[in-house]
Amino acid sequence: MDKIRLLLTVITIVIVVIPIVGILLAYRDNLLGLFVPPMITEIAVDLLGGDGDNAYGLEPPTIVGEPQYDEASHTFAVTFQYKNSFPVDITIKSLSGNIECDRDRFPLGNTSLSKPVSIDAGETGTLTVFGTWTEEAIDHFENEHEHEEFVDVFLVDFAVDFSGIQIQFDQSQMKQTIQVPNPAY
Amino acid sequence: MNSILTKFNWFGLAGGATTILLIVVSLVYPWWQLTVGDALFTVNASPVNMNMGFLDTSFTIPFIWALNIIGILTLLASGIAMLIYSIIPRKSYSKRLLGFGYKKPLFAVLFFTIGLVVATVICQVVLSLNIPLMGSTTSTLPIPFVSGITLTFLLSAGFQWPFWLAIVAAGLCIAARLYHGKAVAAPSV
Repeated sequence: MDKIRLLLTVITIVIVVIPIVGILLAYRDNLLGLFVPPMITEIAVDLLGGDGDNAYGLEPPTIVGEPQYDEASHTFAVTFQYKNSFPVDITIKSLSGNIECDRDRFPLGNTSLSKPVSIDAGETGTLTVFGTWTEEAIDHFENEHEHEEFVDVFLVDFAVDFSGIQIQFDQSQMKQTIQVPNPAY
Repeated sequence: MNSILTKFNWFGLAGGATTILLIVVSLVYPWWQLTVGDALFTVNASPVNMNMGFLDTSFTIPFIWALNIIGILTLLASGIAMLIYSIIPRKSYSKRLLGFGYKKPLFAVLFFTIGLVVATVICQVVLSLNIPLMGSTTSTLPIPFVSGITLTFLLSAGFQWPFWLAIVAAGLCIAARLYHGKAVAAPSV
């Protein structure tokens, strides 16, 4: 009976000690690698906008062409291009933001994505964003920009929702101003 | 017929077999799963196999991999000990086998659950990430990690069916221990 007890104790010790000692020996030159495998570091660097061709894309979309304005409905359309540099296909479910006058920091309206857009891995997709000027915005255009054909505006609280993750870009990320036709010109 | 019923500890047989079955299914299916967004990032956790997936990449943490090996070997030893004990419950050394084997599935469930709770609390305290044990919640990544960009995402987590199988295995093994007195006391035919 004592032999059985001894055998079970030895089995318990061997089961615990051998894997731990084995992994410690395997990583004796890189103990940090025991807890943080290189792959995690690479992904974190890529997500934070790391250099190299493999950097995953947390870049803001770029505006393409001139915004279109419909005078009757006070609505406008802005087209963006977004490069999906993730290694998988993504679906942009929504895209939203508020528009402010660049000179006066006056809120002019908000924007939203016309429909969800799927972009294959490594491809660039085109997103059309619609927005509506508020009544206060029309007043602002009439009173503050009556002699300007185009007005510089910029996006604030710009957010993209893809694959269930919402990425919100703050002002430092959205430096690009947009020239929009002045509805009051 | 009666001799067959009293010859073995059937709870032990079922517990040992369930424990070994648990090892096999846990290599494929996690006990607990966390999903971020639309499965953009996943964590599959169990005492015998824990891995994480980001996009199409799956990876594991070496130290946790070693703990998984310990988990596999411990549950395997427990299952084998329970099976041997259950076939010969009246041998002099059988109670030693039972003592060795019956507690391990229960400890696996307890340590796994406590480990999960501790891990989620650490994430809450260190990363300000509110990870649910069960259900869904929306979290925001701390700003110092991503300058100028805020990530908001849905976290969905839940225990999977192998976790409940582990509880069944633990229950059967405890039942085997409770039944041991009767199994030994029954007249040998």
